Amino acid sequence: MTSAARSEPALGAAEAMLPRPFRVISTHSETQDTVTLELEPEDGAALSFLPGQFTMFYVFGIGEVPISISGDPLSPGTLVHTVRSVGAVTAAAVGLSVGDQVGIRGPYGVGWPVGAAEGKDLVVVAGGIGLAPLRPVVLDVLARRDRFGVVSVVYGSRSPGDLLFEEDLHSWRSRFDMEVEVTVDRANDSWLGDVGVVTGLLPRIAFDPTKTVAMLCGPEIMMKVVASELALRAMSPESVYVSVERNMKCAIGFCGHCQFGPDFLCRDGPVLPYAQVADRLRVPEL
Amino acid sequence: MNLQSLRESSELLKRLTNTEFDLFESLSSEAHLVSGEILFEEGGAADAFYIVVKGKIGLELTSPGRSPMAIQTLGPGELVGVSWFFPPFRWNWRARAFEDTTLIAFDAGEVRRQCGVNRDLALDVLGVVAEETARRLHRTRIQLLDLYRSS
Repeated sequence: MTSAARSEPALGAAEAMLPRPFRVISTHSETQDTVTLELEPEDGAALSFLPGQFTMFYVFGIGEVPISISGDPLSPGTLVHTVRSVGAVTAAAVGLSVGDQVGIRGPYGVGWPVGAAEGKDLVVVAGGIGLAPLRPVVLDVLARRDRFGVVSVVYGSRSPGDLLFEEDLHSWRSRFDMEVEVTVDRANDSWLGDVGVVTGLLPRIAFDPTKTVAMLCGPEIMMKVVASELALRAMSPESVYVSVERNMKCAIGFCGHCQFGPDFLCRDGPVLPYAQVADRLRVPEL
Repeated sequence: MNLQSLRESSELLKRLTNTEFDLFESLSSEAHLVSGEILFEEGGAADAFYIVVKGKIGLELTSPGRSPMAIQTLGPGELVGVSWFFPPFRWNWRARAFEDTTLIAFDAGEVRRQCGVNRDLALDVLGVVAEETARRLHRTRIQLLDLYRSS
């Protein structure tokens, strides 16, 4: 290998590590610890993305974290991120105000196989903040609803106060061409919706197991039990997709921080077929 | 309500032989609850069990000085009540309609009596009740993990 050949990826990597400046144009408090931020690129160049992809979100002076894109893929001029405060960077992100500047790299990763779901039934199962990476799927599918069979969204949350995208959920529920089921682990006095884990709602969802694609995002234990439940409904694990996340740093498959077995999740994931990762999701060391 | 139409969506009815199904049909009646109406109270005699046809039933724990706590909801096709099958045949929870609800009620006392004289029926019913109990235990364990906690 020549020295010139060796230097090419390094230059490419350096460029890929440069964040683009974005400006916060709106903030919406979803829950006590979660906000949805709308961002606009300062250079005016739209950031096109596929549902399920993420960006590296840089809060200047604090640090950089991977955040899934939760906006509408058909409106790439505005980048939408839904962030839950779980650490120093995300806490700072949740505290951002309109006009603040952040750095964005990406989009990165393999998205949800929305194209593969065309002509089939679609089951979307989300838990907690896991609805954020799946929201672009639902928006994308609803924009060309006639290309899909039965569309169902099943969402589980900790409590009624932890539900994300309530406006969307109400809007989706009011449609006659999709099924939306919502449950919480812990109810309050005024909650008259479902109580219990998301798997309890799956028997209510109608789909043809031989021509259905399922997309799951949430805690890994939740995705495992949902995948098991779908298998009982005769769904092949090849048709079930999950979003697996690890500690992503470079986001371009160089540093290896997000290695999950043979995959670098920033490059090969985060969306993977369940059949590919089912065994790995039983290994504590991973 | 034609019980036959519920047969595919109910684990209990699906499991029954045609003869057993006919027996269950003869012991069934339709019940309607408006939203908020109590189906049964904690500690009450478990002399019936139900399958939800339409609507939603919430299982709740009540205690003095605090609002009822819903721990699970049951929807169409699901069995309401397993305590009717085990001594002392008393409800462990309160059941309340979370929306206008239609159910099929079965005479639990007569089903127990029939199970006492018909071993095959007893095994079929026990199998369904045990599976349902195991499923609820599994879900409750997952619920206890508090998976969506943010930190």
